[in-house]
Amino acid sequence: MPDTRSFRLGVAGPVGTGKSSLIATVCRTLAGELELGVVTNDIYTDEDARFLRSEGVLDADRIRAVETGACPHTAIRDDVTPNLIAVETLEADHAPLDVVLVESGGDNLTATFSPALVDAQVFVLDVAGGGDVARKGGPGIARADLLVVNKTDLAPYVGVDVPRMVADAAAARAGRPVLALSRQDPESVARLADWVRGLVAEARAGRHTPVDPGPMAPHTHRPGHDHDHAH
Amino acid sequence: MSTSPDVVALMLADARLPTGGHAQSGGLEAAVRAGLADEGRRLGDVAAYARDRLRTLVRVEAGTAVVARALTLAGGSPRDVEPAWAARTPSQELRAVSRRQGRAWLRLAGRVWPATLEHLPADTEVPRAVVVGVVGAVTGLDAAQVARLVAYDDAQTVVAASLKLLPVDPVEAAGWLAGLHDDMERLVADVAGLSRPDDLPADGAPYVDALAQQHATERMRLFHA
Repeated sequence: MPDTRSFRLGVAGPVGTGKSSLIATVCRTLAGELELGVVTNDIYTDEDARFLRSEGVLDADRIRAVETGACPHTAIRDDVTPNLIAVETLEADHAPLDVVLVESGGDNLTATFSPALVDAQVFVLDVAGGGDVARKGGPGIARADLLVVNKTDLAPYVGVDVPRMVADAAAARAGRPVLALSRQDPESVARLADWVRGLVAEARAGRHTPVDPGPMAPHTHRPGHDHDHAH
Repeated sequence: MSTSPDVVALMLADARLPTGGHAQSGGLEAAVRAGLADEGRRLGDVAAYARDRLRTLVRVEAGTAVVARALTLAGGSPRDVEPAWAARTPSQELRAVSRRQGRAWLRLAGRVWPATLEHLPADTEVPRAVVVGVVGAVTGLDAAQVARLVAYDDAQTVVAASLKLLPVDPVEAAGWLAGLHDDMERLVADVAGLSRPDDLPADGAPYVDALAQQHATERMRLFHA
């Protein structure tokens, strides 16, 4: 393994839930204390990379875009080669980086990162997507290292009960963390930054074990069904 | 572990092999933007485009892979063919794309067929055709299999990308590919006997090169090239 290896944090979730904005927030908050880089996976443009560069939160050369051939799911899960090469090139060009954030192209609820690409992942939902999305579940919602319920400031306008949505999410996650986030709410931004800091510290101490949320939705078996795989 | 060259050839031709193939269109995206297929009204252009590539720049690619294989088997350096390849690949963007793909192939081959790294340095931007030739040498593919792989992969890359770019029935697209077998086999027959860098054909498609240069700075793009 190259000695320029950073901690790699994936950010996934459906289109428009605020992945780029979350990454900009993390960069703005932590760029003073951690060496950061970003790789974006855009569906049709380098829009996300441009957005992040225009936010001025990082040196423009620390933000790289990868084409996905209209297959955002493939690019982060089935064939991570172009992403890995982009991450490693970024790490080599700006060594040593502490964290590389990898933004998935907005996909659907089943898309999660391959463990070959990231060490941990955040799954992002937003209140505007509907209060029931967290209840629908899926691998990212149930088993990502962190689930973010974003844009809580919009809740009154879209008729979503945030505590209820967070409770639904928590129930689907068996104790894994859920964070209600709004860019307008500095306290929630501080909690996000603390989570990232804590994760990086754990990883440095060798205590972080990557967990694959997996591609499978939770499922049940008929009584008597014999199986040897873990749930 | 024994290796079946026939199965290796199938593996290498399978788009599910993780080498980043999903981000490639063989220049089709740029060509479509420039008017190929007339926004879906002239879909036969796609097969003609794949055919024209087989008759021009793919011959250089396949020839390079065949020569790299021959150099490897003769105990020489497969990279000795690189200057001849570069001289016949005038677009610097296409050279860069090939080297990026070569690095992706090398990443895979170095782990699956470690003997590859006895001939090429790990994690390096080597032209894709050179890596393919070396993989062919260490897994026992013959020259015709290597040439056929390069030809088929190029045509399949173009045809598969057309499904993302144009209103194409996937079964019709498979028919286009089947219709290109004669062109592929002619290419195989023409390049399979090559063994020296100087023997490489110098067929080119200047407009494809020009479009590739434009594509590299295009904002709205699905495919790397």
